[in-house]
Amino acid sequence: MGFLNNTTITVDAILTKRGRELLARGNNEFQVTKFALADDEVDYRLWDTSHPNGTNFYGAVIENMPLLEPVPDETQALKYKLISLPKETSRLPILDIAVPSLTFQQGGGNGDLVSPGTLNSTDADLGYTFLVHDTNVARLQVGQAAPGQTAPLVPVNLSSEEITNSQSVVGLTARVLPQTFTTPNKKTTQLTIVGNQTGATSTITVTVNKTVLGSPGSGGSS
Amino acid sequence: MALAGAYKLFDQENDVVKNIKATISSGIWSSGANTLTAGMYFTQSAQSSSTGNYFFDVYKTSPATDSEAEIQFSLAYGHLHGSGSKGTVGAATGNRASAAIHAQLVNLVLPPNTDRFTYANSTTSKHFFVVSLKRARMREKMDPGNWELHLSGSSKKAGDNIRLIDDSNSTTNPESGIGGRVFNVVTGSISTGTSVIETAASSNPGGGFGLFYPDLGLIVLNADIVNASASFAVNSTSNTINTNTENFFKSVKGGAYFQARREEKLSSTHYFVRAGNKEFNFSNNPTFFTASTGDFTQPTFFKDPKVYLTTVGLYNDSNELLAVAKLSQPVLKSYSREALIKVKLDF
Repeated sequence: MGFLNNTTITVDAILTKRGRELLARGNNEFQVTKFALADDEVDYRLWDTSHPNGTNFYGAVIENMPLLEPVPDETQALKYKLISLPKETSRLPILDIAVPSLTFQQGGGNGDLVSPGTLNSTDADLGYTFLVHDTNVARLQVGQAAPGQTAPLVPVNLSSEEITNSQSVVGLTARVLPQTFTTPNKKTTQLTIVGNQTGATSTITVTVNKTVLGSPGSGGSS
Repeated sequence: MALAGAYKLFDQENDVVKNIKATISSGIWSSGANTLTAGMYFTQSAQSSSTGNYFFDVYKTSPATDSEAEIQFSLAYGHLHGSGSKGTVGAATGNRASAAIHAQLVNLVLPPNTDRFTYANSTTSKHFFVVSLKRARMREKMDPGNWELHLSGSSKKAGDNIRLIDDSNSTTNPESGIGGRVFNVVTGSISTGTSVIETAASSNPGGGFGLFYPDLGLIVLNADIVNASASFAVNSTSNTINTNTENFFKSVKGGAYFQARREEKLSSTHYFVRAGNKEFNFSNNPTFFTASTGDFTQPTFFKDPKVYLTTVGLYNDSNELLAVAKLSQPVLKSYSREALIKVKLDF
């Protein structure tokens, strides 16, 4: 009769750059209040239902893989979080965005209205968090407010520089307004949309082309 | 079905244990080594033209050939009146290096209005040799009772070196002053795992070999006693070039044995991460579901999803990631499994 292994898994944590910064400020700002779990590095396509040893070994390839050490860059950690959903969930919520990318001519009128939908679930109550990563390229304006308005979430991984230059709004729809710049001839950034109820996330590219004097300017609008 | 499903609040009362103190000891030298033996004592030639009159830095590997060579400790000679170094009071040249070193150490570790070290049996001396451990090596302090230094000398046969340790194991109530705790340096060995003192400081003519300040990483050796025991020709003539530090280095190098351990107190907070059976059973991982329909990539996951934990993130109320921990191997999580992970964060 062997001994059952009832030990707790113990792991050492490292501070992220943000954690170190808050700790160094010394204003009691380093307050851990919650946790999240992630499965970065795992590829579920390695789940092998044809394993000859049976069900206990379907995940053998994943379970035996060594993992990389943690990195202090908060933008590179916990990219794919584990989430709690009802057991009967048959499909994961995904965002349906009509356009795969947005392209504007500088000074492009009223910009474009982005109106996402959620498949397999709904974000109709709390709406979406729209986050543009570089406000030098485009800014956001709420199109239609969400019935249960919430503060913007920052669940995506942004670098410190991106946080400084980013803008987020909450609503059912949002208008993307291209910005004016002198150089270079084209600027690109990302628009990340997160369902506030489902956590479903999608990112599209926003490109703004500089208007060359003498050429007709045009911009997408809806 | 809220996004809150990605985060779980800690029960601060039951899940978080703060300010756990633990004493950690480890080898003091580079790469965690605890002993420097023959062939591990190097100085840098460039130092002789700059700070060499004051002290010698000792490396474990040659700085001439190893660009990553690290200083392990420094050696210096100090004299109350500046003897053994260039310069005299009122002279325009010479920096009286040995006087500066002597005054520096006396000011640092002795009470005000004290001009020299007093050793066991109230013995005093006008000069000393000092071993000063590099801060990065000792981190918080040297571990008393766990160091041994061998010195060679002209009067010693090969293999018959002076073996020095501290007497902390026989001192239940160490003296503690401006320089923190202080122990006597005595002859003996720790090679058997415990301190075996050859001659106690009080029984040693001249009151022991010196003093050991573990909290400062300093071993101060009475130059009179060292000179009498090892005869390495201490030069205490005034206004002469300092060869004493170099001779001391040769003695340490000839001894070819310096074992030491460091000690530091770590404060930790433990976070108990509890994932219940109904929690964290789905994933945002793009290989977990198809991008077009949201279907599971593995049909067997329907009503029996299986995910793997690899990473734990600790967040604040603003969802800012403050600390991150990785597991050594992926851990299976499903509706029939719970996970309890203790995340240790050291400060």
